[in-house]
Amino acid sequence: MDQEELKGLTVDKSVDARAVACPGPLLAAKKAVRELESGQLMEILSADPATKRDVPKWAQKKGHEYLGTLEESGFFRIYMKVK
Amino acid sequence: MTIALFSGSIDKLTGASIILAGAAADDMDVEIFVLMQGARAFLKDVADDPAKLGMSENPELKEEFLASLERLKVMPWMDFFREAKELADVKIYVCGLAGKIWGGEEVSDFVDLVDDIVGIGECITSMEESDIHLFI
Repeated sequence: MDQEELKGLTVDKSVDARAVACPGPLLAAKKAVRELESGQLMEILSADPATKRDVPKWAQKKGHEYLGTLEESGFFRIYMKVK
Repeated sequence: MTIALFSGSIDKLTGASIILAGAAADDMDVEIFVLMQGARAFLKDVADDPAKLGMSENPELKEEFLASLERLKVMPWMDFFREAKELADVKIYVCGLAGKIWGGEEVSDFVDLVDDIVGIGECITSMEESDIHLFI
């Protein structure tokens, strides 16, 4: 998805992991995804640059659809669709 | 995955906990065999107190290391172990001999994350059956 499409998404769950460093955001994503059903959208907010690669790689490996990442001031929004 | 957790050094315990967290996020089954000074680190009166754990390499950097973890809001190593056990099939076994060395003869002498006290035979069998084995 391009940046404008990402900005227009309405997510089913937003996980704010900005206060924690790696692997905190990954663990937060893993816990949150269990609360969602197939097809629902989730965003993970992280201020840790490693998360930009970590979470998409994990999502793809687990069969979720990585939709893209938006860069905000001092943090990232990583979007995925639950498998 | 199996991990032979030999070290009781706080930086190595932290490193092990981060690897464990990643493995748990990936739904991996993990068996951890806690050996020698690692066993001491899991004693009830030691686990949650960084002052009771040393740092084997460059011990003069321990305070800087702990301060950086706090600044970066990294959870204590024991919390990662706890989260990993909630997320995946993670078992923690203490070596019987190592436990005795530090006065821990019963499972109840250790933090509640410890599943059992085992001998080296069980450890070796699990390592043989595991695709990934780490010694820390």
